[in-house]
Amino acid sequence: MAIEETFDAKESMTEGHSLTREPRINETAESTERFKVRIENVNGWYGSKRAIKDVNLNVREKTVTAFIGPSGCGKTTLLRCLNRMHEMTPGAHADGRVVVDGIDIYGKSIDPVVIRRRIGMVFQKPNPFPTMSIFDNVAAGLRLNGMRNKTIIREIVEESLKNAALWEEVKNELEKPGMSLSGGQQQRLCIARALAMQPEVLLMDEPTSSLDPIGSSKIEELVRTLKDSVTIIIVTHNMQQAARVSDFTAFMYLGDLIEYGSTNQIFMKPEKELTERYISGKFG
Amino acid sequence: MTRLLDIGLQRITNLIMDMGHLSEEVVNSAIESYEKGTMLRAQIFEGSEKLRFLQIEVTDFATELIARYQPVAKDLRFIQSCMDAAYGFSRFGRYAYDIAEVLEAIGPIPNCDKSPVISMAKTSKEMIQLGVKSLEKLDKNASQKLYMMDDSVDSIFRNYLKKALSQSTQTKKKNYDLRCYLSALLILRYLERISDHACYIGDSVYYVVTGDASPRR
Repeated sequence: MAIEETFDAKESMTEGHSLTREPRINETAESTERFKVRIENVNGWYGSKRAIKDVNLNVREKTVTAFIGPSGCGKTTLLRCLNRMHEMTPGAHADGRVVVDGIDIYGKSIDPVVIRRRIGMVFQKPNPFPTMSIFDNVAAGLRLNGMRNKTIIREIVEESLKNAALWEEVKNELEKPGMSLSGGQQQRLCIARALAMQPEVLLMDEPTSSLDPIGSSKIEELVRTLKDSVTIIIVTHNMQQAARVSDFTAFMYLGDLIEYGSTNQIFMKPEKELTERYISGKFG
Repeated sequence: MTRLLDIGLQRITNLIMDMGHLSEEVVNSAIESYEKGTMLRAQIFEGSEKLRFLQIEVTDFATELIARYQPVAKDLRFIQSCMDAAYGFSRFGRYAYDIAEVLEAIGPIPNCDKSPVISMAKTSKEMIQLGVKSLEKLDKNASQKLYMMDDSVDSIFRNYLKKALSQSTQTKKKNYDLRCYLSALLILRYLERISDHACYIGDSVYYVVTGDASPRR
């Protein structure tokens, strides 16, 4: 199911956007790739404090984009603006446009719950539902959305666990509590839970910050595999992780998007002095 | 704020500068051998070997810096260029030793016209100095100067080769000494290679500063 099918058709017509009408830019070979998410003049607010400032950025489909920057620079806020989770924080709001497949997700008739279903999120700390089994953790979203066919649910759970590179480790203990898994396995369970909803975009907020190197490495390998089918945006404090897993990198500082480019360019030849200083550890 | 990486970068810079100055000395000794007929083969060999070991040390240390600190951007380019420059300096040592070997094989040649070699050696030595200095100052403009000097070096070599070929057809000429042409041609060739490596060092500096390949490459 494509994301635009979940939106109000009228909205789509009014806005004049659709998947097939998505314009392409042809200046360079790189830019001919399709943009999945367009971030246009986005501001994120906590009350009267502007945490992100007029950010403009296009995320290419089926790529991994990393948001990097020092603590408090607004990268997590920006990430949370991309599936309207930011507005769930009391006093917080966002303005500007976040256009996914040609549809502005902040459009008046857009249901944020639908958005969050299509744009999945994985958080810093693994957060399996504590009282649920491994199987039920993955199936929970499906059931909440009205899925009742047990065969289909079982198939999706298995596929999601396979896609999250967890199936082989848990296939014989699906009824065990999700919390019984190791930290790294729990995080992959959360990824499987997100994948079960068949998202087109997966947002990852420092997904390995609480994991050991082996757990982190598995998540990184998973990210590289998942990008064949999902557009991934990852927030990370780990510069080397951004360099390893992402195709594009955006550097943010004090709420501003300072530089955005291919990961190779950002890490080998950043254009901005501020970017160079940050990635080289020369801040302070 | 001093980063841990900075301590390593300073050490690798010192190693590279040591290599640069040593390579200058070794090439000077080789040219002096040719010019004055002094046999400095053992001394040149020692310098050349030292340069070879220093190159290994630079490569090992650069690898350690990359493994331990995961440098990026200019830091990474600098380390990569240090490895390239270290290779260049070790080649200077090797070519200097090759010159010494040629001189030993050919024996004393006091009556040869040595001016073409001396002229090219002067430019080649200046190129080595400029290469070392450009590394020290991270002067990206040195690359262009080095290529211009290299053009003149190439020209001397080509002209001498033509001259030697034309002389070889007149073997009955009274004062013809094959050893003069052989030694000069071989040494000019080594100097020409030294000049090329000096250009590569200039390229490395250009890459460190700009992140781009030198326009001449």
